[in-house]
Amino acid sequence: MHISEGVLSAPVLITGATLAAVGVSVGLKKMDYEKIPQVAVLSSAFFVASLIHVPIGPSSVHLILNGINGLLLGWMCFPSILVALALQAILFQFGGITVLGINTMNMALPGVICYYLFSRLVNREKKRISLTAAFACGLLSVFFSGILVALSLLFTEQSFIPVAKLIVVAHLPIMIIEGIITLFCVAFLHRVKPEVLGGIYGKAT
Amino acid sequence: MEKRHDSTMYLLILFFASILIMSTSLPVLAHKVIIFAWVEGNTVFTESKFSGGREATGAQVLVFDREGKQLLEGKTDNKGKFSFKIPKLTDLRIVLDAGMGHKAEWRIPESDIKEAGGVSEKKRAGESTQPINVGLSKEEIKELIEESLDRKLRPIVRMMTESQSKGPSVTEIVGGVGYIFGLMGVAIYFRNRGKKRHEVNREN
Repeated sequence: MHISEGVLSAPVLITGATLAAVGVSVGLKKMDYEKIPQVAVLSSAFFVASLIHVPIGPSSVHLILNGINGLLLGWMCFPSILVALALQAILFQFGGITVLGINTMNMALPGVICYYLFSRLVNREKKRISLTAAFACGLLSVFFSGILVALSLLFTEQSFIPVAKLIVVAHLPIMIIEGIITLFCVAFLHRVKPEVLGGIYGKAT
Repeated sequence: MEKRHDSTMYLLILFFASILIMSTSLPVLAHKVIIFAWVEGNTVFTESKFSGGREATGAQVLVFDREGKQLLEGKTDNKGKFSFKIPKLTDLRIVLDAGMGHKAEWRIPESDIKEAGGVSEKKRAGESTQPINVGLSKEEIKELIEESLDRKLRPIVRMMTESQSKGPSVTEIVGGVGYIFGLMGVAIYFRNRGKKRHEVNREN
């Protein structure tokens, strides 16, 4: 899902970086004292998750965990993902510094979208609704990321639908796995710490 | 309040630690692609891999000269390999496009090609080909040496390719996580200072 350096043209990079900067500043505003450790933990989860390769499907795909990031952090997933991506770029040469903005954008925005779509549902008392929403959140966040990557490649690859199809198909196994992971996280948090799911929601809106 | 906070931390640390353990036991692989190229005789060989060792198959390889003009293009085979005859004596820029925004490149300077005897200029230049006492011309000896060197060096080249494509090490992973927590500390420090100042102001 990381776009390499030297693929995108300057306008795309600048647009991505600007949008990411807006997201990060919104996220930083929302990040109050008590939330900082949580942001850090989810950031490191994201950082490490990219190393877990899923050996199914035609291409090399890895976990992303932007769904659970978005679900638990809302807008704060922008700074969380930015930090993780910056470290991945420096330490592992995934992506790169010039594409940092657009990559952050591509992975954090779906998280925020999923936050608005699902956090209310995940909060429900009824287990079935809550867990289905969690699964959908994990699945759709990866799906949206794929669409955004295809969109950013639109200007270099000249075609949208085939590229988007290719990316989404390659990430199908990941989408399902992320859905399951998100589901288990939410189930676990519901049992042990329901405030983590609810508290943030109340605060961020 | 304080206690609640603690248990949240515990929970999330547990979650991320389990991921860390998983990541070290599974084959590490992620989204980075590498192309590696070397010259043997008058042919350039390339190998393309995703970091972690999986070959990039069916990926497009483009070859450019010094001025950025495209000389040729091709696709990697099912082992991620692609080779081509040296089209002309120039710096070569070999670009791999594995699709979905994955791109890598490798440069071969002109001198490498010359050394490897890529374009046999020497022959054309009519360098002295006096037979030495063994009955072999200088040229032939040179070629023989080069051939056997190529053969001997092949495993080393392969090793280099492999070390190039190794995934991130545990040190780097743990280091990265350390950075994140360091940043967390910095963030908490500044937030805390801001809060304290605020409180002091309020008291006054």
